[in-house]
Amino acid sequence: MSNIEEIKKKLKALNAEYAKIKNIALEERKAFGIKLNEKRSELQRELQEAILTEETESIEKIDITAPCAPNQKIPEIKRGSHHPLMMELRRVLSIYSHMGFNIMEAQQLDDEFHMFESLNFPEGHPARDGYDTFRTAEGFIPPAHTSTMQHRALKRYKKDLENGGQIAVVIPGRVFRNEDVDATHEHTFYQCEGVYVGKDTTFAQMLGVLKNFFEAYYGQNLNIKTQPGYFPFTEPSVELLIEKPKTLGGKGDGWLEMLGCGMIHPNVLKMAGINPEKYKGFAWGGGIDRLVMLKYGLNDVRYFESGKLDFLKEF
Amino acid sequence: MKISLNEIKKLVPEAVDIEVSELIKLIGSRLVEVEEKIDLSKKYEGAYIVKVVSAEPIPDTHLHLCKIDCRKEDGLVQVVCGAPNVRAGMFAIWLAPGAVVPQTYGEENFKLDVRKLRGYESYGMLAGLDEMDLGDDHSGIVEINPHQKYVNENGETCEVLPGDSFAKVFELNDIILDIENKSLTHRPDTFGLIGFAREVAGILGVKFNEENAHLACFKNDIINNNSESISIDIEDSDICKRYSCAVLEMTDGLTDDKFLTEMDVFLAKAGMRGISKIVDITNYLMLMTGQPLHAFDYDKFVKVGGIDNAKIVVRLATDGEELQLLDGKTIKCNKNDILITSNNVPVALAGAMGGANTEIDVSTKRVILESATFSLYNLRKTQMAHGIFSEAITRFTKGQPAFQTMPVLESAVNMLGGKVTGIADCYPEPAKQDVVKITTDDINGLLGTNYDTETITRTLENVGFEIEGNKELVVKAPVWRTDIHIKEDIIEEVGRLLGYDNILIDYPVRPFIGAEEDSLLQLKNKLEDVLSDKLAAHEILTYSFVSRKLQEDVGENPADSYEIVNSISPELQRFRQSIIPSLLEKTRDNLKAGYHDFSLYEINQVTKKSYNFDDDGVPVLYTHLGFVTTGDFYEMKAKLVLMLNELGLRKLTFRASDGHFPYFEPAHSATVDTPHVCCGEIKAKVLKRFKIEQTISAFEIDLSQLVKELPDTSAKMPELSKFPAVERDLTVKVKSEIAFSKVEGAILESLEKASNAENLDLIFKVIPVSIYQKITDDSSRNISFHLEFSSQKKTLENTEISAIMKTIQESVEKTVGGKIV
Repeated sequence: MSNIEEIKKKLKALNAEYAKIKNIALEERKAFGIKLNEKRSELQRELQEAILTEETESIEKIDITAPCAPNQKIPEIKRGSHHPLMMELRRVLSIYSHMGFNIMEAQQLDDEFHMFESLNFPEGHPARDGYDTFRTAEGFIPPAHTSTMQHRALKRYKKDLENGGQIAVVIPGRVFRNEDVDATHEHTFYQCEGVYVGKDTTFAQMLGVLKNFFEAYYGQNLNIKTQPGYFPFTEPSVELLIEKPKTLGGKGDGWLEMLGCGMIHPNVLKMAGINPEKYKGFAWGGGIDRLVMLKYGLNDVRYFESGKLDFLKEF
Repeated sequence: MKISLNEIKKLVPEAVDIEVSELIKLIGSRLVEVEEKIDLSKKYEGAYIVKVVSAEPIPDTHLHLCKIDCRKEDGLVQVVCGAPNVRAGMFAIWLAPGAVVPQTYGEENFKLDVRKLRGYESYGMLAGLDEMDLGDDHSGIVEINPHQKYVNENGETCEVLPGDSFAKVFELNDIILDIENKSLTHRPDTFGLIGFAREVAGILGVKFNEENAHLACFKNDIINNNSESISIDIEDSDICKRYSCAVLEMTDGLTDDKFLTEMDVFLAKAGMRGISKIVDITNYLMLMTGQPLHAFDYDKFVKVGGIDNAKIVVRLATDGEELQLLDGKTIKCNKNDILITSNNVPVALAGAMGGANTEIDVSTKRVILESATFSLYNLRKTQMAHGIFSEAITRFTKGQPAFQTMPVLESAVNMLGGKVTGIADCYPEPAKQDVVKITTDDINGLLGTNYDTETITRTLENVGFEIEGNKELVVKAPVWRTDIHIKEDIIEEVGRLLGYDNILIDYPVRPFIGAEEDSLLQLKNKLEDVLSDKLAAHEILTYSFVSRKLQEDVGENPADSYEIVNSISPELQRFRQSIIPSLLEKTRDNLKAGYHDFSLYEINQVTKKSYNFDDDGVPVLYTHLGFVTTGDFYEMKAKLVLMLNELGLRKLTFRASDGHFPYFEPAHSATVDTPHVCCGEIKAKVLKRFKIEQTISAFEIDLSQLVKELPDTSAKMPELSKFPAVERDLTVKVKSEIAFSKVEGAILESLEKASNAENLDLIFKVIPVSIYQKITDDSSRNISFHLEFSSQKKTLENTEISAIMKTIQESVEKTVGGKIV
């Protein structure tokens, strides 16, 4: 008789013991029951072990710590990857989308009007030089910021204002600066612009919306603060900083500069045919590359456009 | 820009009692980002002013063995010094053992100790100007005036004593703020310490005391009575709003102090260096007021112009006009440059640099001091054209206000102490102060705040605005604020000075309306998921600009690409016409890196000159998907078909390539029409250029077009029958020239026919299994299919199945001349 059978027999015998309980004095019944239960648990454990031993012995053992059996090929899983910048952009857009923002993609070749004039840069103003723009022989400009799309967004969704609604749109896009490339500088990178216009829009609301975005993005409550900034197309203009989130190792001390923002300059609204006396708005723009670099602790921006599988297969 | 906190505190006494960290925080949140805080008291710790009591030459060396008095109880200290100017009786700076040499502070932090030089113990060192990080001079040690005065902590003026802390005497118990001035480009006033301090007062909520700024104007009678020796002619007031100048006779000459001065230290704190008395004073005033000054040698000036009395003409240069500058370089001007001329002979590149022909030197007796303001637009271009990035032009390009040329000039004259023999001021169109009408509701309405009139008025008045009215405010901007024109300018001031971070956050009130979904973006996301997750491809990003060489290598016409005229390198010169060429480059790189079996794709924008413009006159950009895989046509095709199927596109017809992209091998490429896809193997000739030795296939799709061709519902549940399905294998032998699609089509068609004829309502699948061709005889091939069909009405009987198979057989024989084998 195998060990298993033996234990099963014992268990059966034990079960018969239970019947004796009615012959036991009331005050001793509890102790009697506990004792039997313990014994039964013990036997059941023994039974499990015996079954396992029998199963194990019936089949050849393999080395579960090895990647493959002897003389076999190591299995290869073919997998693809998403570009980290595109993944992050998708997440960013999905949050804004849930907040009720429409999405409109930026174009990679634009003109002087959208890059500067429509954004209240006076002609020949030195601020235009600050963007280190590329230019084509025809005078077209690969945009140096996604703000080039503000004018288009305002015009496209102006009807929503006229219908008593608001303009709420975010604009992701690829932007270009005439810069030498090194670990922290790229001439090609991604930004996301946001535009909101309504009747009683305030600076306080802008802070609320942006704080809300970063809280959703990092999944925690965050303190924010600002630094005065200067952009010809917003006034007042500030840089928004957020408290370093816990996921990035923040301990409630450091701050991260996330984006530039401000109340849309009346000239910008006017140029898109919106009455600045009646409607106010805010706009913001920030880099996507930086979000990704912070998230993964990347220290070299050049990886993004490298096309290197060594890098990409990690994502 | 480096700002001394001590200087700020002198101008704003209220700042003295505020914690430095708190002050920096306030400046950061209400004016400008403070990038770095440099504590000079730490940098100059261990530096003392000492008297050299004796200095004996050490034989056969250039060294001196010195005994110095540093007021130590245990007597004189021995220091070995190699400077040629060390001598008994002089006052010098001693860096004691344990002190860090200030020049190395914050970097290698070189710490001094006691060491033996030529057998003599030397305690620390006597320091030169460069070692003290106060200048570049290394010719000797710094000499201190034995009668140097300073104000002690009790406010009393004292004379220096040996052993005094150097930092205490020269006010180096100071903190320097290094600020990021990029965000102040619209605030020329803050490029001077006075303007910066005024902002600090405003931030602290106190009124700035303009008296502290020490700027006063010349009295009009002085100007009128002293203008004979000089006259000014501005040819165009657009290039120069105001030009003021004074002629000074330097009674005590221009000799420089041999001792270290407070001025040297002041300039060093700002990151500048002492040069000569006159240059130092003009630099000092520029740092204080933001107004750059320039000095000409008067006698050289008139000689260059060939006249007796100086005649200054401010005009635009002509193209190619030459001028030798102070730094010895001769520049060729362009017609945008503004020139200062002596009777039309160029003597300075306005705002940028003086000319060599009127340079001040030791023999200079009379000087012309210039205090002017120039067009920032012109100067910005001058700066770029000639690569001049001086402190002066940095300020000029912010647009210095015209009001202060005369007051700053007067300060300079007072400080130089010469005799004024001429003054002139040319200000053709005096600037008007802007007046803005605004209500408290305007301000609170935009900021989302609840500030009362009193708070608003006080905040603005603290920094020099003049305000009339209550609720309806009439705000007059101060003369130095050239940036205040509209309501928003005022609102910004109020919000900023009272602290944006004090604004309580709020949220827009909106109806619950779902956001529009961008169909192209959705398609992009869907494709990314299919390609990366189901087809194991890698998404990459490559530059939008490519090289002419790459375009030529793949057979694209470079002339049809928008060309970047100021590109960084030839690699990034042309806006790309398609995605595949960039992917081929990365395919090559990854093959080289040891990968051999992979697919890459990118979704990005492309355009060509020959494409249309949109309504704004901007080239239309198309979003393309480019896909490249290591493998032949069929491997690529399988992936392409799966991808399109996933989008709900199931009826795909591959026809001979339309040659839309030049890099596909014509005999091994195809076109699908709806949606328009070009696919195929890359030409061997092209691959050779990339030094790729294996077969590479690719496809490219215009997603802007594809998005319009997508079926309404991309996911459809496949039809299922509750009756058992019949499975049959079928091999058709056909002539090799018969296209596969013809054979497959014949089978599908006959199944369709059978379904209708017998009213069986068939559901069927025709799955290709293999294509076999004899190596010895390529005239025909055997194509095998696996068929699955079932009726939606009933269980098919054997006779019905035979009939269906017969229909197929007949159809194949008839339409493609095939034989069932």
